[in-house]
Amino acid sequence: MTNISPVTEPRSRRAFLPRWSPKLGVGLGLLGVLVLFALVGPLFTGDPSLIRDIGLTPPGGEHILGTTLTGQDILSQLAHATRGSLQIGLLVGIMATVLSAVFGIVGSYAGGVVDEAFSLFSNVMLVIPGLPLVIVITGFVPADQRGSWTVALVLAVTGWAAAARVLRAQTLSLRNRDYVAAARVSGERTWRVICVEILPNLLPILASQFVFAVILAVLSEAGLSFLGLGAANSSTLGTMLYYAQNGFALQRDAWWWFVPPGLIIALFGCGLSLVNFSIDEIINPRLRDSPRRTRDVRGTSTDTTPGEQDAVLTVRDLNVVYRSEKPVHAVKDVSLTLRRGEILGLAGESGCGKTTLAYAINRLHRPPAEVTSGSVVFHSPDGDNIDVLALPPEELRAFRWVRLSMVFQGAMNALNPVTPVRAQLADVLRTHRPEMSVPERAERCAEVLRLVGVDPKRLGSYPHELSGGMRQRVMIAMALLLDPQVMIMDEPTTALDVLVQREILTEIMRLRDELGFAVVFITHDLPLLLELCDRIAVMRAGEVVEYAAVEDMYRRPQHPYTRELLASFPSLTSERGMLIR
Amino acid sequence: MGYYLRKFTFYLTALWAAVTLNFVIPRMLPGNPVDILMAKLQQRGGTVDPAARHAYELLLGTNGHESIVQAYLAYLGNLLRGDLGVSVSAFPAKVSDVIATALPWTVVLVGVSTLLSFLLGIALGAVVGWKRGTWLDTLVPATTVLSAVPYFWLALILVAVLSSALGWFPLNGGYDVVLTPGWSGEFIGSAIYHAALPALTIVISSIGGWLLGMRNMMVSAMSEDYVLTARAKGLRDSRIMIRYAARNAVLPSVAGFAISLGFVVSGSIVTEQVFSYPGIGSKLLQAVQNNDYALMQGIFLVITIAVLGANLVVDLLYGLIDARTRDRSVMA
Repeated sequence: MTNISPVTEPRSRRAFLPRWSPKLGVGLGLLGVLVLFALVGPLFTGDPSLIRDIGLTPPGGEHILGTTLTGQDILSQLAHATRGSLQIGLLVGIMATVLSAVFGIVGSYAGGVVDEAFSLFSNVMLVIPGLPLVIVITGFVPADQRGSWTVALVLAVTGWAAAARVLRAQTLSLRNRDYVAAARVSGERTWRVICVEILPNLLPILASQFVFAVILAVLSEAGLSFLGLGAANSSTLGTMLYYAQNGFALQRDAWWWFVPPGLIIALFGCGLSLVNFSIDEIINPRLRDSPRRTRDVRGTSTDTTPGEQDAVLTVRDLNVVYRSEKPVHAVKDVSLTLRRGEILGLAGESGCGKTTLAYAINRLHRPPAEVTSGSVVFHSPDGDNIDVLALPPEELRAFRWVRLSMVFQGAMNALNPVTPVRAQLADVLRTHRPEMSVPERAERCAEVLRLVGVDPKRLGSYPHELSGGMRQRVMIAMALLLDPQVMIMDEPTTALDVLVQREILTEIMRLRDELGFAVVFITHDLPLLLELCDRIAVMRAGEVVEYAAVEDMYRRPQHPYTRELLASFPSLTSERGMLIR
Repeated sequence: MGYYLRKFTFYLTALWAAVTLNFVIPRMLPGNPVDILMAKLQQRGGTVDPAARHAYELLLGTNGHESIVQAYLAYLGNLLRGDLGVSVSAFPAKVSDVIATALPWTVVLVGVSTLLSFLLGIALGAVVGWKRGTWLDTLVPATTVLSAVPYFWLALILVAVLSSALGWFPLNGGYDVVLTPGWSGEFIGSAIYHAALPALTIVISSIGGWLLGMRNMMVSAMSEDYVLTARAKGLRDSRIMIRYAARNAVLPSVAGFAISLGFVVSGSIVTEQVFSYPGIGSKLLQAVQNNDYALMQGIFLVITIAVLGANLVVDLLYGLIDARTRDRSVMA
């Protein structure tokens, strides 16, 4: 399976260690106790096979956990059986992990025919059902030659393939990383590149697969033994259950014989799974415990004062804080006014808080981000003032896209990859214009595509079938669907090449002139804004350091940071509007 | 088109590998199956003419007079004709007939309960992932406990409690033995009644894996940009959850469903043993216990073909629900 987000960078040593959490604690605790029991238990509990004439004695007294049908002490059997099961689990875990590493890592690193062959082999092994194969194999091996090594070997051979597939996918993505490529170009030996550059990054996955293999082995061994196909003359939890079942333990109400072995397997499996949760969180950091849901200020000041004349959106003293371990004040006392039909530029380097600000305006920010104070008021054309931060959820939902739509940075990721463009456009109409008929919806979708210069035939295409520029046009078309008064554009052209960028910008200007919506245009590219906007706000470290009309900002930048930004882009000509980029 | 062609080629290769494995295993392992078989056959009054012996030698190898290549080709020929030999444990029934009577029981029981478990697990996982940070999070460790419990142990305890003690379900079997199998309402009702508890145990023990996988993918999908776009679009939560987050999050689970089918069949062997269910798994065990090698190999082959076929179906389906796979040309 591919549910593992790629490891992005070489990690520091500390990143390999799981974060401490109650789950990890309980898991390690369980494992510790069981391993101790398996190691030490057999030394103290006496002979597990000693037969006494006190069959099926209930727990208590001399035999803490009671006795079997033939009077054997269950606690003593349990200690030996746990040891046997853990041994097999460990053996299989090691063998299966080594096999999967060889087939998964070496194959995909070598590439070419080796990779094809290894991958085909693992896939074939994966689809051939394991247990029937194990049964057939063990069925052919006479019972007296069937030791725990045989069983472990068979389980390992039939159980490594899934892990190899995951490792292969991961190695393929690591192989093309810059630091691995650099190591290869600098002539490091293959084994060194694998061991030093690739293996450390695969460690969490290997560990997770190992843990999983151990669980699976202990369970499979129990299943095999239960079927009477387990290792001969060895004692495991599976064989214990086999004897209990064949001694009709449950039918004789001798639960103390049947329940404990299964419980030990379950506890062992739980312990390993809990540890695995922590390993998974290293592999996929998104799985970490989410922060508590934060509460935003809701209508602290039900701000309905009309804004400046002609204003469509007024932001006043807005503050956004990330409530992480070290709180980050991402937006500080920002006040902005967006007039009808104007293009307001929001400039600043990455991390200055401009995207956070844009999301907070539409309340799209997610925990741990939290609006701590301030107001966002939308002035609708009919004279109503809508306090966005105070809207109840359902009204907020109805407000979004109808009044204010957004165009996001990477259109590839902003479009749903598994549905065609048509469905994603029609979705908006279905939700906000339920009275529209299906043909009307289709016509409106085609209409907005034509507006942005995309052939309506593209409605049937999936995002991956469109070029980058085309995707961004589709995003803009989507933003136009409901004729909003405000459109927030977050770096809409950053990922595009210069020519396409130019086309899209021209398109945005033309549409603005035709349809009269106002735009908040976010970018790090100040000269671009000089050409495009009516007014510009320059942000730095969460604050608006300068907020002025374009002409003023270009001629007389007030803040040193603005001057710095302007100076860092060489102007091609001194005349504004002639900047060709 | 390339996508489907590659899939078919892969499954043909896998099938060939399974068939070959089936040919190689008895030749590699210790013991002399043909002699054991012949002895058994004689005990049961079977005639051991040289032709029969030769057929078994082809199937199982050992002291053949022909070269291994000739034997292999003859073995493939027999398979193509659907000739899997004669079962020893059910003498004089043919292996193919034994399999034909047992197979529907397994397919229905395991098929239905696996699908049920998958759908339930996916639905629950989607909700648990979506409502992350609420009390539903406690479901995650709870389901882990369920998947860490040995299946047969849990099933036997459920039988002891629900069937023996409370009498809610029958103890074992696939139908009430006083009825004759057929398409009568009474018989089908009895079959469903007998399948209820086995199905329940399969669902209980396998749902946790689906739930956890889906939940984790859901959590990842929820931080994707397209979910943010959907929220900005002012769509209803239920729609964002289903059409945007879950629709994407389910893809690995569907791929995983194909892979898990092998495990599912494996599980059914144990299930059928616990419930003395008249399916293919209990026949396989019976074959192993009676050294009925022909039946053993026949069943392994049928199980493999079934799993490969189901995998192929899931793969083709996957091409439908994720358009990107069809256009990718390199991935196997």
